[in-house]
Amino acid sequence: MSVGVHTGALALAALLAAGPLVAAPPTQQEIEEALTCQCGCGLTVHACNHLQCPSGEPMKREIAERLARGESKEAILAAFRARYGEKVLSAPTFRGFNWFAWVTPFAAVAAAALALGVVLGRRTRARPGGEAPPPAAADPALRARLARELQDLEREP
Amino acid sequence: MAALGRLAVCLALLCAVFAVGASVAGAARRRRDLIGAGANAAYAVFGLVAVAVAILLRALLAHDFSLEYVAAYSSSTLPVQYTVAALWGGQKGSLLFWVFVLALFTTLVQLQNREQNRALMPWVTATLMAIAVFFLALLTFVTDPFELLATPAREGQDLNPLLQNYWMMIHPPSLYTGYVSASVPFAFAIAALVTGRLDDQWIRSTRRWALFSWFFLSLGNLFGARWAYEVLGWGGYWAWDPVENAAFMPWLVSTAYLHSVMIQEKRDLLRVWNMVLVLLTFTLTIFGTFLTRSGVISSVHSFTQSGLGPFFIGFLVAVILAAGGLVAWRLPALRTRGTIESFASREAAFLFNNLILVGIAFAVFWGTVFPVLSEWVRGVKITVGPPFFNRVNAPLGVVLLFLIGVGPVIAWRRATPRNLRRAFAGPLAAGLVAAALLRLAGVPFGWAHATFALGAFVLGTIVQEFYRGVRARQAMLHEPAPRALARLVGKNRRRYGGYIVHVGVVAIFVGVAASSAFRIETQQTLAPGQAMEAGRFTLRFERTESREDAHVASLAAVVAVDEGGRRVATLKPEKRLYKKPQQPTTEVALRSRLTEDLYVVLGAYDPKSGQATLLAYVNPLVSWIWIGGAILALGTAIAMWPSPLERRERAWAAGRVGAPAR
Repeated sequence: MSVGVHTGALALAALLAAGPLVAAPPTQQEIEEALTCQCGCGLTVHACNHLQCPSGEPMKREIAERLARGESKEAILAAFRARYGEKVLSAPTFRGFNWFAWVTPFAAVAAAALALGVVLGRRTRARPGGEAPPPAAADPALRARLARELQDLEREP
Repeated sequence: MAALGRLAVCLALLCAVFAVGASVAGAARRRRDLIGAGANAAYAVFGLVAVAVAILLRALLAHDFSLEYVAAYSSSTLPVQYTVAALWGGQKGSLLFWVFVLALFTTLVQLQNREQNRALMPWVTATLMAIAVFFLALLTFVTDPFELLATPAREGQDLNPLLQNYWMMIHPPSLYTGYVSASVPFAFAIAALVTGRLDDQWIRSTRRWALFSWFFLSLGNLFGARWAYEVLGWGGYWAWDPVENAAFMPWLVSTAYLHSVMIQEKRDLLRVWNMVLVLLTFTLTIFGTFLTRSGVISSVHSFTQSGLGPFFIGFLVAVILAAGGLVAWRLPALRTRGTIESFASREAAFLFNNLILVGIAFAVFWGTVFPVLSEWVRGVKITVGPPFFNRVNAPLGVVLLFLIGVGPVIAWRRATPRNLRRAFAGPLAAGLVAAALLRLAGVPFGWAHATFALGAFVLGTIVQEFYRGVRARQAMLHEPAPRALARLVGKNRRRYGGYIVHVGVVAIFVGVAASSAFRIETQQTLAPGQAMEAGRFTLRFERTESREDAHVASLAAVVAVDEGGRRVATLKPEKRLYKKPQQPTTEVALRSRLTEDLYVVLGAYDPKSGQATLLAYVNPLVSWIWIGGAILALGTAIAMWPSPLERRERAWAAGRVGAPAR
């Protein structure tokens, strides 16, 4: 067990010594994944593989052109949103009513976890049991009987 | 024959109505003759629906295009295996198939319970037959699978080409089996609520059915993912499409139930919660069918849409009201006096595992319905696609993976610091070592890194459990290690089968994380002889090959794959043009290895210039998703297999032997 603890501590140190990642500039793929193809496939522009898709292919070309012109991800997404409406974005924005889309699942899980924690905490405080007593050293006669009965059980069909 | 099929469905509806009425009246008046008549009517429903299925199948195989369904979903050139699959390829056939599976399971449940659960069974039969009444009424009054065309068609319109795939032959039946078998625990739960017999009996009677349902939901989801991977050609396997979500939600809730029910069995806690999970699982299967059929939310499964949405939403509301009302009525009796004694206990770990599983189900539900909500509230259409689901579910998934490691090894009631050290020191060290090695190997911090490290932690707990179990047997019984391992699993199939399922789940987590985070994608237009790079592979477009038969025309790009200057494969991604309906599809070419898949798609071909546009994906560790599925199936089969001890217990309970062996 102590070997496990020491190994874990060494591994943790090595882990902490490794440096963090640096954020990369937006890529074509990242923006294609942030937009929904308008051909009706229901997939993102990146995932749509319709043969010469009349929606996805021009969108991909336009994204490449805008990136080549040095436009930011936000500017490119805003341009598509202005043209197609909010439904072109593959995920809700973080503003207004859409904010509920993002917050609600985490809020629900957090509220449930809190409620569970409070209920469990109250009940465990109400029953101060302390630690369970350590198991008594097994009586050799008892161990022998247990082994005998287990062997009997093994022999049963 | 069509008239006979329609007659069989109508008679089945009448028998199902009679089965409900007779079972309820028999239970209420304690009349065994009425209960017996209800059970016999349920057997008759199975027989009649089987006749209807046989007639529709015969019409499909005989290409009887006088039937609207046969003309719409098959053709004379459709291969025979897909002609059989056309039975569930369209809405009418799939509803008939659904009710067939339901009637079959009702029959099995009745045969299983001839000698037991006498008080519950009339209500079980009534509930299952009430569900059958709904489906049979749809088939009789709304969507008749035996509808005749005014003028018989000379040729059928064929099955949707996307469905002409091996995985599509087994994906829908697996999901239907999972969905429909969830009706059995639901029916027992309703029976327990109605009769007030709220002890463990209904749970023990449906334990294997719940596992069976979960097993087929798991397979159905995995087969669907594999179908999407091979057929849709976008390099992925899960798009968080509403219909995929609809199949995933009951799986999540059913998984939560399979864990929390152990707390009820061991500690007689969580009766209300387990009841709610069983009812919710069934409700979500109906909600899934509603999503698939209604078209209320746009989906890649739009080929299944119809006007049946309002009927399903009505049925859904009725189920929620009835089940919710019964739970509210029995709430005082469902409450238990026991309590969870410590946060550091298996009960608490399972409760938090339930919280996360149901939390993920809620997040998926919320994301699926949020576009509808947005349109109601703001009048603005929005899309909730993969980026939302990935961001929301990744952290919840990582917490779940951690709990998969904690739950099975932490002590019941109250774990002492010594217990915790003994259970977790080794596995935590394994997780941290894996995390450090992966980081040193260049794997960046993130959800994928966390998943791999936690996967090592979970595997550590499982290996430790097997090791300790084998060592204990060796010490006590002096068995050689292989026999000790076999006996260890054989004597406690549920526990060790569960561990094996967890190994499968870890493999799936690792496959999903690696293939999502480290996928390499390239796209290039090549003339014959030109090459492109995809990761460490060089893909050379050599030539095209075309072939044509009465059913389909196809064009394949012959692509030579080199790795380190050595030829490792020749792949042939295809574009196919099905003739009825005229629809192009993609046939992906795959080179699968344990380390990665090379996945090549022929995006476009210009016959004038002879240039082909190739899309190549290198998907790391994706095979582990399917291998994980196979491990999961093996573990579930072990867990479901009856042990000799259980058989003896059942025989003793049924009074066939005098007393259990001591």
